[in-house]
Amino acid sequence: MTTIYRRSLAACLMVATAALTLLGAVAAPAWAQKPGGTLVIVSTPEPTTITNAFNSATTAGEVGTKIYDGLLEYDANLNPKPSLATEWSVSADGKDVTFKLRHDVKWHDGHPFTSADVAFSILEVLKPNHPRGPGNFGPVQSIDTPDDYTVVLHLQNAYPPMMRAFSSLDAPILPKHLYAGTNLRNNANNNKPVGTGPFMFKDWQRGDSIVLERNPNYWRPGRPYLDRIIFRFINDPATRAAALESGEAQVASFGSIATSEMRRLEKAGVVTIPLGGFQALAPVAMITFNTVDPPFNDKRVRQAVAYAIDRKFIIDKIFFGFGQPATGPISSVFKGQGLFTDQVIHFDVPDRLKRATDLLDAAGFKPKPDGTRLDVTLDIGPIGDEYRRMGEYIKQALKQVGFNVSLRNEDMAGFTRRTSQTYDFQMATAAWVGMGDPTLGVQRQYVTSNIKKGVPFTNLGRYSNPEIDALWAKFAIELDPKKRAEDAHQLQQKLVDDSPMVWLFELQQVATARKEVKNLINGAFSVQGGMYETWLDR
Amino acid sequence: MILVRGRGRQRLRYAVRRFLQAIPILVAIVTCNFFLLHLAPGDAASVLAGESGSASEEYVAQLRHDFGLEKPLVLQYVDYVANVATLNFGHSFRYNRSNLGLIVERLGATLLLMVTSFTIAISFGILLGAWAATHKGKALDRGIRILAVVAYAAPVFWVALMLIMVFALQLGILPTSGMHRIGSRSSGLATVLDVAQHLILPSLSLSFFYLAVYTRLMRAALLDQLGMNYTIVAEAKGASPRQVLWRHAFRNAIIPVVTLAGLHIGSMLGGSVIVESVFGWPGLGLLAYQALFARDLNLLLGILIFSSVLVVAMNLLVDVVNSFVDPRIQLK
Repeated sequence: MTTIYRRSLAACLMVATAALTLLGAVAAPAWAQKPGGTLVIVSTPEPTTITNAFNSATTAGEVGTKIYDGLLEYDANLNPKPSLATEWSVSADGKDVTFKLRHDVKWHDGHPFTSADVAFSILEVLKPNHPRGPGNFGPVQSIDTPDDYTVVLHLQNAYPPMMRAFSSLDAPILPKHLYAGTNLRNNANNNKPVGTGPFMFKDWQRGDSIVLERNPNYWRPGRPYLDRIIFRFINDPATRAAALESGEAQVASFGSIATSEMRRLEKAGVVTIPLGGFQALAPVAMITFNTVDPPFNDKRVRQAVAYAIDRKFIIDKIFFGFGQPATGPISSVFKGQGLFTDQVIHFDVPDRLKRATDLLDAAGFKPKPDGTRLDVTLDIGPIGDEYRRMGEYIKQALKQVGFNVSLRNEDMAGFTRRTSQTYDFQMATAAWVGMGDPTLGVQRQYVTSNIKKGVPFTNLGRYSNPEIDALWAKFAIELDPKKRAEDAHQLQQKLVDDSPMVWLFELQQVATARKEVKNLINGAFSVQGGMYETWLDR
Repeated sequence: MILVRGRGRQRLRYAVRRFLQAIPILVAIVTCNFFLLHLAPGDAASVLAGESGSASEEYVAQLRHDFGLEKPLVLQYVDYVANVATLNFGHSFRYNRSNLGLIVERLGATLLLMVTSFTIAISFGILLGAWAATHKGKALDRGIRILAVVAYAAPVFWVALMLIMVFALQLGILPTSGMHRIGSRSSGLATVLDVAQHLILPSLSLSFFYLAVYTRLMRAALLDQLGMNYTIVAEAKGASPRQVLWRHAFRNAIIPVVTLAGLHIGSMLGGSVIVESVFGWPGLGLLAYQALFARDLNLLLGILIFSSVLVVAMNLLVDVVNSFVDPRIQLK
């Protein structure tokens, strides 16, 4: 099996090399990147659709970003880089954003890519249909296309966060000629997509795999290196790890195999786990409190929980080191833009347990004869075994200060209904993505206007504070980077002081790759990027 | 000759009647399943939005509207039954495709897995059971009985993972999962060999439990028959031990095995959910499992209807097979 596999890969590689040489498509790079080969990625769950314009589920993004390009990309500090757009500028009042587009881009079906595609994608596809569309592009009123390669977005108001939302992950550009005038969501192209990206859709065997092939006419010369990318969907995490270990797969996205398995395979010398590629998502694991109902309508009780939990323990013992303690609502990923501050109340102080019990005393929760003070329930988001174990740890940690915690595990449907529809919960754990700007991914949890019954991942705790609302509103439209940073720092200080959440840790959502996989990370992305720089050393 | 034709007609009549009897059973299954499944909290829209990690109000409302989830449950039920009656199984919320297409696409893989496992279980079960019975009390018998107890007691997911550990990771001779070598473009014989290679571990995992049951049942049944008067008479009339065993005792002993095997079709379909999950085998079991967690209820209902039809059909087949094995069995 292994031999046949290797041999066929070698054959693929030879054919590919020969073809490339014949086509003269290789700009003969002087460095060591080797073109060719098939990269197999195990991921979970199987996406519902592979056009990530209508769905922001992780796996839809993993597949879609290979097929589609965005106008921009972002480096590890989330600074924009050219992609389909070569230049961009924002007018002084922040209301007009102009993009100059590449002239040499073609859709996979041979049609030329123009500004009409961009205008159509942003206004008619992304803004109304993408789950984050209203947040990313809400202020966009109209789009002008003075020529085929210029796009001007006209905004209702200045909206700097939007400049972080043009990646292929958040804003894939779709072909107007295949979508205009059709029922967008049910367009047949959604499941056999045509993009401008480095890989072309080849085949989707449901329940098994999605096969993408190298786009030989990709506009980045000599890219991508890989001949094929195959996404494998295996339901069982142990089998996914076995596939990676046996070499049937080369990459496992974060969450598709247990963190303990990641470390085991790393120790065994089978894989490497390069740190990075999660900045574009900026995920933070946290406890959401129901801030309306007792006992967590009292800030002192919420802070008692924050003091009682040892974040280092969770990171080291449960997530095997894939994280760093979070200090507040905004991830340290935003440090590069100056938005992050750690000048907030710290909960990891030496006398933290005493502080917790003092707070509970002050809130009126005195110890009963059996030592407990109050009974609470923790709902555990169904997003992985580690979160279940974290729940068990939180139960024990809170017991030290007098909480008697009951744990509740429900599936995704039950969990979202409980936390966003019936609000029948007290504390809930989950990981939240911050996206490229706090306005895009963080704000939604804290503003009064986003208390939306029936909509998952909104302001679930129904936290409402006019001062915070006003600060977020100001932050969203502030053009001066320095003032914007000050607003962000204030938000962090005030929110931590009010503690509507316990921010546990910044999740390092890293992919695991066998040693032969090189350049997995490109800027702020790894498996959720185009992967046109990734190559196989075999 | 007349007799045979009479029995043939009898079998056909029987089959038709059983088939008609299945219709009310299916209606009951559809109704029960429909309302039971809707008792589960949450709906497909909340799962899709939940998986997205973020969603706007418009997005969720749009999904609920597209899926027809805002209608009262009774209306949804009436719609559903009307559709099923015309063999329209609706659209999958999750895959945005026709449920029938999805089910048919996956049915082959599950049938292949089940038929293979079933064949392994029943043929080796009968063989080992007969072998043990004819060596009653000897080392071979004890060995087979111990093996049967172990195979009976081992949970299927554990067996599956152990097989992966040994054959895929340690020995590296079989693939861990899937149905095809990934991205393979083989055809003809190469495809058959490829699928066969991928089929070995899942079908072994699924068959172990049933293999143990049939082994023990066959052993007991054969010992029973060998102790009966008719075998002693046959022996007294000069039949060789081999003739007594195969022509007389064996034919009677396999009847309970075949009957039980027929009853096992349903539970095997249940077991395939686990096996397909562990091995990433793209069959109905895996689809059902995912449909449940995605609250893709129309798809799940479709799968349940198909499974029910499958079980009813297999039971019918077993009855007919039994009437061939033992002509005394009357199909009425």
